[in-house]
Amino acid sequence: MKKQSDVAGGCAWRWENTMQMQVADAGEGILKVALAGRLDTAGVARIETRLTAQVVPRGARAIVDLSQVDFVGSLAIRMFITIARALGRQGGKLVLYGAQPLVAQVFTTASLHNIVPVQPDAAAAAAAARS
Amino acid sequence: MQRTLELRFLGTREEFEQAYTQLRHALDAVQLDAAARYNVELVFEEIVANVVSHGAPASHESDLHVRVTLELGLESIRLTFEDNGVPFDPRARPDPPPPQSLDHEGGFGLLLVRHAASSIDYQRTGAGCNRFTVTLPRAPGSTNRIR
Repeated sequence: MKKQSDVAGGCAWRWENTMQMQVADAGEGILKVALAGRLDTAGVARIETRLTAQVVPRGARAIVDLSQVDFVGSLAIRMFITIARALGRQGGKLVLYGAQPLVAQVFTTASLHNIVPVQPDAAAAAAAARS
Repeated sequence: MQRTLELRFLGTREEFEQAYTQLRHALDAVQLDAAARYNVELVFEEIVANVVSHGAPASHESDLHVRVTLELGLESIRLTFEDNGVPFDPRARPDPPPPQSLDHEGGFGLLLVRHAASSIDYQRTGAGCNRFTVTLPRAPGSTNRIR
């Protein structure tokens, strides 16, 4: 964790964005990716290259667990669309699931579900990834 | 936290991130509905990221200054964003249509801001600054929002 300093009168603030990612084989050709943290501008900057490298080269059918993601903004939506597009070209697929209510509301506002499946749980996500 | 918070910072990614962290620390001291807090952070994120990415004249990146004022009222929250960057009236940008394919280019930021806000206003001030004001309901869902 990197420290911030001198934002206001010498007060020290901590960087809070420590996006984390875990990848696991969920069986039946499904790759499960669990993300944790904030997918704001800084969070996307910290995770996008690693996430892309994990799923795109192998043309994965990837399900992404968002249950530990507290925040998404427009850059996160753009990131998911970009990865889904790259996966689609290789026969893969990206499915999101487990979004917290306020995160899900952002997806709904952007109509993300029109182009990237957004499912309530892992079972539904895996079924969508296989279809 | 005081009822008003002012943040001044250079329009760089590093100072944006520092100011964002400072905003969140300040909000920790306020009793705020979870949805209202999310919307404050979302609006800050979308507006300032846009200023930092597009606001600076090409040859003067280090001269981009940003001031954000957060005012907490009993029923509403007002965020005022001021910067000395290139003129940009966000009201002039239409919302993108709902995406129909993965070739969609994005542009969701202002859509999310409009959805969260109860009103937005923009002025190009006499001092050559953008001033963008976003008012949010303190209890989201209780107020008709702009679309």
